[in-house]
Amino acid sequence: MAFVNFLVYLAIMMGIYGILSLSLNLQYGFTGLANFGQVGFFCLGAYITTIITLTFGLPFILGLIISMVVAGLFGYVIAIPTADLKEDYWAIVTLASAEIVRMFFLNEDWVVGGGVYRGGAFGVGGIPQPLKSYFSAQSYPFFYFMIVLICLIATYLIINKLTRSPYGIVLKSIREGEDRLAQAMGKDVKRFRLKTMAVGGMFGGLAGCLWAHYYGFISPRQFLPLETFIVWAMVIVGGKGNNKGAILGAVIIIIFYHSTRYLKDYIPVEEVTLASLRMVAIGILIVLVMLFMKEGIIKEKKPVY
Amino acid sequence: MTLIQVIVNSIIRASELALLALGLTIVYDILKFANFAHTELAMVGAYIAFIFNVGLGLPIAVAAIIAAIATGLFSILIDRAVFKKMRESTGIIVMVTSMGVGIALRNTVRAIWGPDAQNYAVPLQKPIVTAWFRITPLQVWIIVIGVLAMVAFYLLLHYTTLGKAMRATSDDPALAQASGIATEKIITYVWFIAISFASLGGVLIGMETYIQPVMGFAIIIPVFCAAIMGGIGNPYGAMLGALALGLAENFGLYINFGKVLNLGGLLPFSKDFYIPTGYKPAISFIILIVVLLVRPRGILGKKKEG
Repeated sequence: MAFVNFLVYLAIMMGIYGILSLSLNLQYGFTGLANFGQVGFFCLGAYITTIITLTFGLPFILGLIISMVVAGLFGYVIAIPTADLKEDYWAIVTLASAEIVRMFFLNEDWVVGGGVYRGGAFGVGGIPQPLKSYFSAQSYPFFYFMIVLICLIATYLIINKLTRSPYGIVLKSIREGEDRLAQAMGKDVKRFRLKTMAVGGMFGGLAGCLWAHYYGFISPRQFLPLETFIVWAMVIVGGKGNNKGAILGAVIIIIFYHSTRYLKDYIPVEEVTLASLRMVAIGILIVLVMLFMKEGIIKEKKPVY
Repeated sequence: MTLIQVIVNSIIRASELALLALGLTIVYDILKFANFAHTELAMVGAYIAFIFNVGLGLPIAVAAIIAAIATGLFSILIDRAVFKKMRESTGIIVMVTSMGVGIALRNTVRAIWGPDAQNYAVPLQKPIVTAWFRITPLQVWIIVIGVLAMVAFYLLLHYTTLGKAMRATSDDPALAQASGIATEKIITYVWFIAISFASLGGVLIGMETYIQPVMGFAIIIPVFCAAIMGGIGNPYGAMLGALALGLAENFGLYINFGKVLNLGGLLPFSKDFYIPTGYKPAISFIILIVVLLVRPRGILGKKKEG
């Protein structure tokens, strides 16, 4: 039974990271936006839904919607200063934005609304799980997996539809540095970039919301910048500019990440060292894929005219 | 704290930041990508100095010099193994790769020395106390080394053949190559200079506080901010940006914004308001945003956009 539980856990992680990966793929893979702050949306989604459901006692579905809206708005706003600038600026501004979000939830623990919100460095526990009372402790993870799966499929369908529409073609022309081509078609490149950050941010928030309700406990330590680069590894390995690739990348990296946990049963190495080595491997993996397999496992479909 | 003390602290911070921002900006200038492994290499330098200082018992000054040379050579090695193969790739590809390199470096150090903070074997510093400010001998050294490094870089850039070749390569690599400048050789020198400076900065920060695997990542935002503020790719801009950022970080915490809001007592409300120290890292970020909105090419800017 323990093994089945572990598989369900893995499947839920794949689903949540799959959403993050799809969202980053929309921004980086399709539009060429170097979002180095994906974890910021994830963090924001997790905290907003916690405040909505735990502090205000509102239902899960409201937490989900509001966290998506807030994360989407956040994506729009942080993109404004860099909308006209090159990728280097995007990278540092998004990286810094995610750090600000984390810093905010690390430092602030004020009283909001009806309840007392105790956040800060110690984190927040007791986040309600949706429809928990209808299930036994054994079967609940299966139900939660279904929620995650539905969200993943919805994300996939929406982003797929988006990237195949004329909208997606404009995004690709922006990625290829052909701003003038997009402008010639009468498209406002700046607005497209902002919108893409907003849509991507929304799904990042969704992933954060699902994470918070699954764990029931969140703290700023879970949202370190390293998370962002795990998602980057997923997009790069799976194949940028391909939505199936983004999900495949999430599956591969999650399996790698969690299977190496059990290495310490076989080789004498400490937990901290193992965690570091795992990240060394992810860093090297990013470099190797960039050097030798730029397209990733599933290549982007190039349209034939 | 007196006003002069705040200025002195700003200059100390600026000296550390300038050593790092300068290297970042010259690599960007020649290779046209934002090196996200830059501050991680500074951290590697700090740990190499740790081996020679604590492990082998050498004085910290000797250890710092060895570390600067070793880290500089190490960066050339990384360039040969990774970045050299990507000269034709777009900035974003190389940038993401450099992030991968940075993650690998940080976690390798973390796997070897563990995540905790460590100290160099330097005697406890007795501060020099004057009427207006106090400063430790080490902090005096930080300022001296910072200024000397800047002067050395200026002389190198303007009075040596290498400097001339570097400027030519920065302006137009193809033309430089056609005029008989071996651009690959220039790139090698640029890596060495940039990363030696960064390593020195890493050691100085480590001496003033402590060394830790995350120390490189912790300063990535201020260092990028200083480089961008001065106009990325412009070495003098990076120095100016570092100074501006040092002042901003220290004055940001010193100023009572309550007094600013009621115009120094003109308006009838008074409430003290200081930026909480927990938000100190946010100051550089806010300045970065303002700079990008107002002057995206930085204070000094760059001659032309390629």
